Amino acid sequence: MKSFLSMFKRLFVREKAEINILEEEAIRTPGKTVMLALIRNKLAIIGAIMFVSVLLFSFIGSLLTPFWETYLEPTNADLRPARNFLSYPKSLADKEIKKIVSGVSFSVALTSDGNLTVWGSECNRTMRNVSEKIFDIPREVQNANIVDLEAGTRHIVCIDDRGNFYGWGYHSNDQTILPLELQLSGEKIVKLAAMAQWTAVLGTSGNLYIWGSTQAMDVLTVPEDAMGRIVDIAAGDNNMVLILDDRTIRVIGLVGTEFYQQVPAALTDGSTRVAEIAVTNRNVLARDESGKLYLWGSSENRLNVMPETLRSEKAVDIDAGYKNFVVADSDGDVFVWGANELAQLKVPKKLGNDIAKVYADYFQFYAVNSAGKIVGAWGNKGYLWGSDKYGRDLFTRIIHGGRISLTVGAVSVIIQIIIAILIGLPSGYFSGWVDHTLMRLADIVEAIPFLPIAVTLSYVLGYRLGQEAKMFLIMGIIGFLSWTGLARLIRAVILSEREKDFILAAKSLGIKQSGIMVRHLLPNVFNLVIVNVTLAYASSILLEAGLSFIGFGVQEPTPSWGNMLTGAQASFVIRYCWWQWIIPALFVVAAALSINMIGDALREAMDPKASER
Amino acid sequence: MLRYIAKRLLILVPVVIAISIILFGIIKLMPGDPVRAMLPTTLRGEQYQAAYAVMSARLGMDKPVPVQYLRWMHNLVIKGDLGYSSANNRPVVDVIREPLVNTIRLNIFVNIFYLLIALPVGIKMATKRGSLFDSGWQVFSIATYSIPSFFLALSLIFIFGVIMGVLPLGGMPNTVLFSGFGLMFQWARYLTLPIITLTIIGLASAIRYVRNAMIDALSQDYIRTARSKGLSEKVVIYSHAFRNALIPVSTIIVWTLFSLLMGSTITESVFQYNGIGKLLLTAVNTRDTMLIVSMNMIFAVVNVSAMLIADVIYGLVDPRIKLK
Repeated sequence: MKSFLSMFKRLFVREKAEINILEEEAIRTPGKTVMLALIRNKLAIIGAIMFVSVLLFSFIGSLLTPFWETYLEPTNADLRPARNFLSYPKSLADKEIKKIVSGVSFSVALTSDGNLTVWGSECNRTMRNVSEKIFDIPREVQNANIVDLEAGTRHIVCIDDRGNFYGWGYHSNDQTILPLELQLSGEKIVKLAAMAQWTAVLGTSGNLYIWGSTQAMDVLTVPEDAMGRIVDIAAGDNNMVLILDDRTIRVIGLVGTEFYQQVPAALTDGSTRVAEIAVTNRNVLARDESGKLYLWGSSENRLNVMPETLRSEKAVDIDAGYKNFVVADSDGDVFVWGANELAQLKVPKKLGNDIAKVYADYFQFYAVNSAGKIVGAWGNKGYLWGSDKYGRDLFTRIIHGGRISLTVGAVSVIIQIIIAILIGLPSGYFSGWVDHTLMRLADIVEAIPFLPIAVTLSYVLGYRLGQEAKMFLIMGIIGFLSWTGLARLIRAVILSEREKDFILAAKSLGIKQSGIMVRHLLPNVFNLVIVNVTLAYASSILLEAGLSFIGFGVQEPTPSWGNMLTGAQASFVIRYCWWQWIIPALFVVAAALSINMIGDALREAMDPKASER
Repeated sequence: MLRYIAKRLLILVPVVIAISIILFGIIKLMPGDPVRAMLPTTLRGEQYQAAYAVMSARLGMDKPVPVQYLRWMHNLVIKGDLGYSSANNRPVVDVIREPLVNTIRLNIFVNIFYLLIALPVGIKMATKRGSLFDSGWQVFSIATYSIPSFFLALSLIFIFGVIMGVLPLGGMPNTVLFSGFGLMFQWARYLTLPIITLTIIGLASAIRYVRNAMIDALSQDYIRTARSKGLSEKVVIYSHAFRNALIPVSTIIVWTLFSLLMGSTITESVFQYNGIGKLLLTAVNTRDTMLIVSMNMIFAVVNVSAMLIADVIYGLVDPRIKLK
């Protein structure tokens, strides 16, 4: 039966000719053998996949993501990874919204039933014992009938229908606690304004109370004629706008700003009645009762230039974010202008034209229709991998930092190979005094441990260099300090190769010495170079990360995985901002690990004897 | 043997001289004029010129550069004068003393631990090649090879200092508040994380080194002979193979001894440990020229002597090496 089957098989199935191992070796080129050994090695495959993904992430990623190196937004510092800043809860759909305010990473809606709904992401660090969480709405607030609220960068203040004040969230300057004098006087609160470091309230007496840290505002003196006549307030970084009972306005605060100096005369002399004001940090937009708009302030982000299309329209609602103004006109259209780094100008297309109210705060924007329903939200959705201490998006910085780190590592490895070949080749070939001199050179470079001399050189040579030049300096330093090992290996291989017959043959043919070295000896070190270059690439990436970490590598604001971790030397960052050090560090590990895995596999594949070790 | 040592020394002298010239070049390249820094800022015009001339003569700055170099070397070698630390306003020797003691204290434990782990693990990996034990430690070795030391340090701080809160985030024990056993306990608390970090980092390469040395020894003919004589595996491994594996391993033991004096810049600064490595960073940040240069010089001399001694020991323990 068996023989029958085999006969059958032989007849119909064309069998591959069986060859023994020796024949196989003879057929395959060494390159093929190495490739096959690599493909069979699971670690090599995992390493290769990891490395290619890191490479694609960094290089293709940096082509796709726009990057503005010097961009800063300190307001948004240390925000944890989240993309839900604008994801308002579904439960709001069956309620009527009266007002929406936002902090840097959260928004709060006041509904007609006097309740608050918070969404977005927590922006405060939560310490033991002290609750400063935005999402922990105090019990008394939940029970009260809230009528108005405001949000600072990281705190919320609100008042109920009986004029009681409540506040919670970040309170470094007691922004959330009513001052004792006001608590004692029992004066009811009617209006609120909240900024990063301070809170202002308007009492029923028409008097203004401000507390917290108001240093930026300089002197805050309410003009005599405005005393007791204030009916509404709005606050910017350095100035405040007051609406008086005759619907004229006064600006107080820092005197030198355009905000203070360019107030249109019509708004102060009583010729128009102001209905509403919106204030960014340096600009003011005012709407009078006829729907006409007045705009003044700093020219930053072209915020003081109203869009052409808007001029003829009649505005019904206005609001201001941190660097933007938003206006809803009588046709229900929405206009936004100002900065666009966080997609502030990307108004959703399907808003409809029933917009009655627009709410903007910091970088979040909401449009609400006449029924009090949110019809659209745009602006800063959040940071996928959090933000750093300057409020920069970690995701884009890791992508572009990867490009820098991988490039710096690669260039320094190329420098290493070039020097190692230039030193190792003649050293092994000539021996004698050439060998001696070159090897002493290697001794000198090896004598001082890497980090001390690298730090010293980086400082001595780099203190007057620009950022870009310093990056090249780092590549040079890593390259010039780490070629010795490879040079010694090359020398050892050349030493044994040069004694072989083919070199004797080459010599007797009268080939020039340089020709023998380059054409006949150099190819023999190729395997060695490949393996060691791979391993050296991993260690160069680690060296760059280490140097940048202690501040002697790639300099801010140019990102590199190493210098993104510099901040982690502060215990604050280790404690509260895990994303700022774990994520970049994981990329360093992923890159180094994958390259080391490939290098190890390569070594085994090229030198099967080594795998027995 | 003596001739060999003498020859090695003779080779190393030009290396040390070359390093000293490079370091002197670094002093000259340092930003800032040392003479000007020594003068009071109130001096003006001619008065300043005069004072400048006097001061530069006193510092020897008016002489040509080669003469300055010889003077510096004379002070360094003959008088043992490392110079004056400008940021600390004390002689460099005094500034270095305490951090050096701290670094040695840290490294003693690190070296003991990593030798205690690397030797048995490396041997066992070699004898059980291809086993789970072997590949497990291989993976450990390649993984720790790829982890930046600061990330390891930060993670340990995060786990033991922040989440569990059992160990300090970094710093030095308070020698005023504690004494006796209390102080020793404090040292233990502050040293634990740096020791773990540095031990793990050292292990990665040490394990591979011991393993390879042992495999080399095990593949020798005399091992086959020993086995064929019917000796027990224990005797073969420990008295035949291990003794021979010790020859290359002796090099790492020498290095280990010398590395006691070498601070690890990054780990020490992450843990805010007042060691020699952190001192170097501080020196660079405060532009303390003489301190930077002296420390580099010390590192170089230590390193070069380690190279020499390792070579000599290698020659001593391995009679096969022909001392040419």
